[in-house]
Amino acid sequence: MVDYQVIDTIIQEKGKVKKSLIPILQSIQDKYNYLPEEALKRVEEATEISASEIIGVASFYSQFRLQPVGEHMVKVCVGTACHVKGAMLVYDALKRELNLEEGQETDTSGKYTLEKVSCLGCCTLAPVVQIDQITYGHVTPNQAGQLFSDFETQKNTKSKKQARKTDGTTIKGEIRIGLGSCCLASGSSEIKEAVEEVVNQNELHVSLKHVGCVGMCHQVPLVEIVPTNEEATLYSKVKPEDVKDIINNHFESSNFLARIKNKFFNTIESIQSDRRWDGIERYELHVREKHVSSFLGKQIPIATEHRGVINPLDVEEYQQKGGWIALKKVLSKYTPEKVIDEIKESGIRGRGGGGFHSGTKWEIVAGQNEKVKYLICNGDEGDPGAFMDRMLLESYPYRVIEGMIIAAFAIGATEGYFYIRAEYPLAVQRIVDALKISREKGYLGQNICGSNFNFDIKVAEGAGAFVCGEETALIESIQGNRGFPRLRPPYPAVKGLWGKPTLVNNTETFAQVSFIFRNGAKRFNAIGTENSKGTKVFALAGKIARGGLIEVPMGITINQVVEEIGGGIANGRKFKAVQIGGPSGGCIPASLGDTPIDFESLKELGAMMGSGGLVVLDDTDCMVDIARFFLSFTQNESCGKCTFCRVGTRRMLDILNNLCEGKGKKGDLEELEKLAGWTKKGSLCGLGSTSPNPVLSSLRFFREEYEAHINGKCPTGKCTELIKYSINDKCIGCTICAQQCPVDAIAFNPHEKHEINLELCIKCDTCKQVCPEDAVQVD
Amino acid sequence: MISIKINNKQIQVEEGTSVLKAAKSLGVEIPAMCWHEELDHFTSCMVCMVKDTQSGDLFPSCSVLAEEGMQVATMDEEVQEARKTALELLLSEHVGDCEAPCQIACPAHMDIPKMNRLIAEGKMQESLEVVMQDIALPSVLGRICPAPCEGACRRKSIDEPVSICLLKRFVGDEQAGNFYKNLALAPLNNKKVAIIGSGPAGLAAAFYLQIRGYQCSVYEKGTVAGGLLNSEKLDAKLPKEVLKKEIGNILSIGVTLHLNSEVNTQQFEKLRKGNDAIIIATGNGGEQLQEWGLKTTPKGIEISKSTYEASVPGVFAIGNALRPSRLAVRSVGQGKEAAFAVDQYLNNKKVVGEPRLFNSKFGKLVADEFAEYLKESNTDKRYSPLKGVEGGFGKEEAIKEAARCLHCNCRRLDNCKLRDLSDEYQANQRRFSFGERKTARKMVNHNLVVYEPGKCIKCGICVRLTEKHKERFGFTFIGRGFDVEIGVPFNQELKEGLTETAKLVVEGCPTGALAMK
Repeated sequence: MVDYQVIDTIIQEKGKVKKSLIPILQSIQDKYNYLPEEALKRVEEATEISASEIIGVASFYSQFRLQPVGEHMVKVCVGTACHVKGAMLVYDALKRELNLEEGQETDTSGKYTLEKVSCLGCCTLAPVVQIDQITYGHVTPNQAGQLFSDFETQKNTKSKKQARKTDGTTIKGEIRIGLGSCCLASGSSEIKEAVEEVVNQNELHVSLKHVGCVGMCHQVPLVEIVPTNEEATLYSKVKPEDVKDIINNHFESSNFLARIKNKFFNTIESIQSDRRWDGIERYELHVREKHVSSFLGKQIPIATEHRGVINPLDVEEYQQKGGWIALKKVLSKYTPEKVIDEIKESGIRGRGGGGFHSGTKWEIVAGQNEKVKYLICNGDEGDPGAFMDRMLLESYPYRVIEGMIIAAFAIGATEGYFYIRAEYPLAVQRIVDALKISREKGYLGQNICGSNFNFDIKVAEGAGAFVCGEETALIESIQGNRGFPRLRPPYPAVKGLWGKPTLVNNTETFAQVSFIFRNGAKRFNAIGTENSKGTKVFALAGKIARGGLIEVPMGITINQVVEEIGGGIANGRKFKAVQIGGPSGGCIPASLGDTPIDFESLKELGAMMGSGGLVVLDDTDCMVDIARFFLSFTQNESCGKCTFCRVGTRRMLDILNNLCEGKGKKGDLEELEKLAGWTKKGSLCGLGSTSPNPVLSSLRFFREEYEAHINGKCPTGKCTELIKYSINDKCIGCTICAQQCPVDAIAFNPHEKHEINLELCIKCDTCKQVCPEDAVQVD
Repeated sequence: MISIKINNKQIQVEEGTSVLKAAKSLGVEIPAMCWHEELDHFTSCMVCMVKDTQSGDLFPSCSVLAEEGMQVATMDEEVQEARKTALELLLSEHVGDCEAPCQIACPAHMDIPKMNRLIAEGKMQESLEVVMQDIALPSVLGRICPAPCEGACRRKSIDEPVSICLLKRFVGDEQAGNFYKNLALAPLNNKKVAIIGSGPAGLAAAFYLQIRGYQCSVYEKGTVAGGLLNSEKLDAKLPKEVLKKEIGNILSIGVTLHLNSEVNTQQFEKLRKGNDAIIIATGNGGEQLQEWGLKTTPKGIEISKSTYEASVPGVFAIGNALRPSRLAVRSVGQGKEAAFAVDQYLNNKKVVGEPRLFNSKFGKLVADEFAEYLKESNTDKRYSPLKGVEGGFGKEEAIKEAARCLHCNCRRLDNCKLRDLSDEYQANQRRFSFGERKTARKMVNHNLVVYEPGKCIKCGICVRLTEKHKERFGFTFIGRGFDVEIGVPFNQELKEGLTETAKLVVEGCPTGALAMK
């Protein structure tokens, strides 16, 4: 039953006008776990918001549920990194385990609700499943049963905030051994054996990972220890006899190992996963993932300056490390015009994707003759494979705020907004706290730093809509509407929030502003290429040895990022392509690995800087499937207004689905290309007009793979409708596959060569994954 | 004032004028579906796209304002293809028929749903008027037609088709007297048409030309009129007096019948001189066709499709003279269609035959949709006439049987922008039909309005109108993306959503999604 008093209190707190609608709905869902119709009717009665607006908004944003859910939420991450590591097979297995019919989300007992989520932000643990606040990493389809039984034993215990394996053990960490050619030459295979011996003897629950050349060939052999929740340590010139001590130091005793050869590198940053759809306590913070970069030399931290060192909310520390210097300098010595000149000179371009020159944008807003102007920090990061904005907001709140105040001064803004996805509760909390502290310290409010300048910032939470990363949709969302983008011009710089001139910049852009004023525009524009200045933060993930967040100078090549920073492709596979820019970006083949990463070069190849997601693909990844993955994402996220985006992307997806299911026919690729062209030309906003990019770029570079699908073949064996499983002569008759097969398609015949009954086989890949002899083959 | 160039013509417009309006003031019509005079632009359908010839970009002209120096092309090839593609995408999710399957299946293209509805309402004479627009011999065909329409009837997927043929016979038999009494004939226009052959095709052509004001003379080589309708095979079904009566009715409007008048080559030439047009409806055979200078096919006279023009100017051919067929309804239909062509020909208009528009088709009904389509219908099983099939329906029976019609045809056949534009741009509805189709639904709980979500293009005009006119519930967008739908919030009934604005939203709706009952 809905308690009207509760609803009325919420309304009283949030307000009765339209801009209060999203906060009201968020509070109601916090309370009831979904939006009961009765509660919404009460909102209609008690506010000036209409029924049409309430339902329109509640049904637009995917955060809101109009149906009740089960006791526990099971979230399968289907972000890019998890997708390429088989998340859909895991999802299907969980669906079978819960006996869910097509379209059913909650099991009949009402205990579990299964859903797919775009990105949980722990890409290095992919594929990832989260049940309430417990996160399971490296999940395989055959572990579905185990997953639930482990959850049952864990759900009432205290120690929840760690990543677990589905067998019930905690993932204590990872030991990485360099197996590049230099490492091997220097004896890393002996090291590998020593590590395996120690791990087995001590029954340690750690992952062993072999990484390719990390580029530090003068330091080989290398061993890197990455304990969960602790700092990563890289040991160079390791000898086999040192291994035991090294491992014991990390995983058993807390003694500091005196014989460390070289503590090379500290943590970069804790990335915390904090997707909290319903705002219920169950979804509190959990996985802490350490990101490790092997090669600081190639990276230049500007937005991420002092990473791993600075305490996010310690305003004193921020000041000691050079914080607020830029702001004070600007407020005391600069005119707004001079600020804009400096920004222009720095050459910085918007980090949100399009790459519009920030100085020009600021100048336009500054030039508007209006008393009231707004400024918005766009933190609505929606790319399923990127989480830089979150990291910046969580780790460097003051740096972003400082950049915003400087911008506000330059354009004459009176009020600012942070627009942050509600799925980033930690980021929201950090920003709220940091704003409060900044206000107390006189960095926000009246007479900032003793100047005549007044400015303050509010926080608006998004509610789950990728399209709201588009600035006009974002503005609609702050105003309490459905996130329908609108035609530009007029640009927000002229007519934005509440019809007033509004500067919308990406989080990363603001995070780089203080550097420019502290060190001068020249320092900034010395970095990068002729037309793309400074650095760019990327979320590096996929089939890479070392995934993580990196900040690199513009102009660095794809190969440098993949090989030197990412440590090459994991598991000895072959580098096939990188997907840059997420759903708006494209796939660049390995053969073009020398391409510098800058706005123009990427655009020329049909990709774009976009969100900053950088997903590395290897030779087992099907490009048609990747295109389908991104298109189904944009299809889901289309606001549904323009014909070409609403229907066009669906029809493109229909074609791709048909290709992946073996129903492709001649002429499909031509139609796909045509449709992609029209969708590009005939969509109003960036989401629609860039949505064909993953399709067009993969068609451009991997057309033969598409053609193979038309002929009924998936060259990489990813598309389940086009493949069949069989067991070859390597089979030793161990029956593991027979035991694990969820549909009993393999008869239990010990010591005999097993056979798969193709009529029963559901192609879940379990047999292949569990076979100790590599006897299961896919054709 | 701002000056821009549209299709290379310079024009001055006031600042703030959209390109669409600027074009309009120049007399250039740009199609638009989501645009509404009373509302701000919304930019959804993208049918109004035009090209900026300087940049080559396409943009929606309903929303983009004219800017100084702008150069716009509204009708170049790319623009046309963009519009066509947009329409085809909209059609790919359009779950609705324009004309009903029965009408499309009917060789005479009769408006069967309209006939049914009028019968169900007891408006029998009006009903026969609808029938007579396409079928000149309803009593005859009501007895002998194999009724291809009933094969296509959607009701057939649910139980049994509506008994269309018997209904037509009922109104034909019952109302012929009234019909002919009240029939308004066009005054004679001093033009003459000779029709060779008095079978179903010739009789139909004579009827439809005579009512248009042409003096028609029918030449029959035999001793009675009716051609193959006199065949012994039909005797059991078609009493001679029914045939005689119906022919008599047609003659009663001024058609002259010449019996025992076989036309040979010499007479043919004479007829050509003495008449403004000739229609050949001689049935099978006719050895002298080539002598008459007509091109033939192995089966009969060669004509151009849909206009029935033979190779000699002013000569038309219909019925079995084209190719053998046992379907009298086809011949009757051709008689009607040829009348259109002759009329156009004699008025120096472009000869196109009977105008036919684009038709949306969505395929078979699936089980989930039965209940939706039965909402407006009598759910009883098909009625068999108490008097037996030979006796036909009585009035009450006819009313009940006609009420079984599912009303598949669109209520806005003549007032739908999607249909008109699809016709104009020759859109192909099947182009993008590779996904599953959506489920057809009908919302009828309103005394004035029917809402069919499957026909909606999500332009939001109704949402914005109900909001503007302060409906408490009104319409809203529900969901997003491809699955977005327009509905009444809180699952309220249609009548709660549209308390004051029913007529307004129906007028605003560019498609058949919203229609008056």
